[in-house]
Amino acid sequence: MSEVAAKELRIVGFLCNWCSYGGADTAGVGRFKQPTDLRIIRVPCSGRVDPMFVVRALITGADGVLVSGCHPRDCHYSDGNFYARRRLEMLKRLLPFLGIDDRRFHYTWVSASEGARWQQVVTDFTTRLHTLGPLHKK
Amino acid sequence: MSTQKLKEIINKVLPDVEAVIAWQEGFDKLNVTPIFITSPEQVDKVVWNAACAQNLASYLPSQKKKVAVVVKGCDSRTIVQYMQEGLIDRNNVIIIGMPCKGIISKKKVQKAINNEPVEEITFTDDSIKVKTPSGEKTLAIKDVCPSKCATCQYPTPIISDQLAADAIQSDKPAGAVYADVAELEGKTLEERWAYFAKEFDKCIRCYACRNACPMCVCQDSCIAETRDPHWITQRLTFDEKLMFHMIHSLHLAGRCVECGECERVCPMEIPVAKLKKKINKEMKELFDYTPGVNPEDKPPMFVFNVDEAKIKEHKL
Amino acid sequence: MADKGYLPKEKIKEFVEALGKDAAVYAPSLEGDTIIFRQYTPDKEIALDRPANTPPKGAIYPQCETLLNFEFKKDQATPEKMDIELKTNLDFPKAFVFGGRPCDARGFTVIDRVFINPEASDPYYQKRRENTTIITKCCNGPYAGCFCVGVGGGPASKEGSDVVMTEVDGGYYMEAVTDKGKAVMSLPMVQDGASYEAKAKEANEKATAMVRNPFPADSVDKVSPELFDSADFWDKVIAKCVSCGACTFLCPTCYCFNITDELAIMTGERIRTWDSCMFQHFTLETSGHNPRPIKNKRFRNRVGHKFYYYPEKYENAIACTGCGRCIRYCPVSVDISEIVGYLKDPKADPAQWAAEKKDAKN
Repeated sequence: MSEVAAKELRIVGFLCNWCSYGGADTAGVGRFKQPTDLRIIRVPCSGRVDPMFVVRALITGADGVLVSGCHPRDCHYSDGNFYARRRLEMLKRLLPFLGIDDRRFHYTWVSASEGARWQQVVTDFTTRLHTLGPLHKK
Repeated sequence: MSTQKLKEIINKVLPDVEAVIAWQEGFDKLNVTPIFITSPEQVDKVVWNAACAQNLASYLPSQKKKVAVVVKGCDSRTIVQYMQEGLIDRNNVIIIGMPCKGIISKKKVQKAINNEPVEEITFTDDSIKVKTPSGEKTLAIKDVCPSKCATCQYPTPIISDQLAADAIQSDKPAGAVYADVAELEGKTLEERWAYFAKEFDKCIRCYACRNACPMCVCQDSCIAETRDPHWITQRLTFDEKLMFHMIHSLHLAGRCVECGECERVCPMEIPVAKLKKKINKEMKELFDYTPGVNPEDKPPMFVFNVDEAKIKEHKL
Repeated sequence: MADKGYLPKEKIKEFVEALGKDAAVYAPSLEGDTIIFRQYTPDKEIALDRPANTPPKGAIYPQCETLLNFEFKKDQATPEKMDIELKTNLDFPKAFVFGGRPCDARGFTVIDRVFINPEASDPYYQKRRENTTIITKCCNGPYAGCFCVGVGGGPASKEGSDVVMTEVDGGYYMEAVTDKGKAVMSLPMVQDGASYEAKAKEANEKATAMVRNPFPADSVDKVSPELFDSADFWDKVIAKCVSCGACTFLCPTCYCFNITDELAIMTGERIRTWDSCMFQHFTLETSGHNPRPIKNKRFRNRVGHKFYYYPEKYENAIACTGCGRCIRYCPVSVDISEIVGYLKDPKADPAQWAAEKKDAKN
């Protein structure tokens, strides 16, 4: 039973292949129930995520964007997520200035074993977005 | 008079370089235009006054041989940023510094004279006298200068081989630099979106802002125009125009030296510098970084710290 | 239907709204401090006191035009068979261009020669052109950079317009130039204008005398082919250009375009958009070869197109109307009239421009 509204929103997720995608996989294997609004795009590392990906997603129809990577110090490629942290923090502060609610963009760190945590992140983010409503009036 | 000293310096360095880049009179008295001096006869054309707006340092990355360039304080930040990013060879440039008290904004002057044609302009230290068909008007430079001059922290070039006038200290409060950003931050989310929607709707994708920007060095390979990767189309919808400005601003994150050229050259008078200044404000807060002041610095998006004191994890 | 009319200034809004009853009206509207040609709506403020930042070119030749829509349709029975459905739309509404200047109206005649001709006409441009009536306001005097008299035009030129208006006595004297224009004059707000004709003529002559001709009396008609081909000349005059596209996009006569297909999985459209010879990829071919890879070659193309090739092909008609926008809005104030002045100088000599390329000491 999904406690969120019947109409799905479009939430795009950029997950790093090693930690976060693995964490999502763990959640799946454990059959943890989550809202289904999130559509996942797998990237090798959160450092691959160009802030432009987030912007383009939000402008062309996404209602929210989630980015998740390995915990800092645990990046599979050593330092990819250190760069990501800087870029995504900068973007998070820029979006509201432009007039886009920064609650629609969230970045976090989820490791491959944190299946339960992944379920929590997706549920909370989706709930938050349903409270905010769709971004694009179509 | 500093123009005389400037000409003397140019004459002196000319034999050592391929060209000296300075300003000369433009098509009317309100406009100057860059001149690439290659022979002593051209030196007399050089002017130095409050109309000297163009950032000549932006020609440097494309110069193949050694040149000399005349820069104001704001322009010199461009050179410092180039050095941080390895875009120029410092040994290939002779920097002639020109301390500056402020330039005029062509648009503000034209507004003050009701857009009449300019017949003559006389420049003094802090004012300009403009002659139009209907008479003469004296305007204080501080009333018609672009916003960057009103908060200028670096009136004297930060880096130079020679100074063509005495150094000037800044008398503007440092806190005022991002006052215009703070003003917008004080508005609501909807008001901000409406503001940018109205402004960017005027954009005609001429790319004057991108090409005049000294830090935009990709130009011919800019992803705003490539078909592969195909980020945006040529369509003139608001979404596409906003995407272009986001690409431009994001690629300048932590690199924009606030030279103001982007806003000066926009033919539609869009305040394109606002997004960049907002990003710069965040760079200052997060990483205590100001672009273009110290050649030893590294732009914040190029580096990282294992522990970031100012970045807190966001909770849902 | 009178040929001469008078429109008081207070009636302008009413007039434009009457035009707009069953047509689209493009008028210069004030947005902040910028004047842009927009499709008129009652909330817009019409500004006629100075030339608009943008030309009205986009009203008949839009910056982005959909040539056709396409949709891929799979045959359910034979999946490997793909049909394409094409749709074109040439249903363009009636339109008016109100408040452009004579240089803007002449700009359309330059594009007409290329896009509407017996061998191959562009149906999109042609249809829009036929459906559009151009009402031009003559200039009271020159604006920064303009030089229409130097290229065969003038601040009161009627070429390309259907109606011309001259400011007199708190209103505008209007004169119909074509039959399309005569229809406009029959609107109720337009009073009889015969009494204002003499004053208008005087104002026009006064304005014409004030506009600069950048080409001295002894300039040759044709551009010097030797100097035009001198690489050193172009190096010198265009070193300062930053290769943006402001000049071409703001030009009333520039008409180069790109055609691109924009696909979104199964549907898409083929769009034609303005191109600019200032862009590096202007002549970039799919093979990767680029006949004009450097800025000098492309600027040479711009000047050549307007002042050399076009006049050769179209009986000395110059593809520049001297509006001055490229000069006004250029980030580095490149002055095309200055450059053409050098090319038309009877004493033009490539040797004078030969670079004294001194070897730098380091």
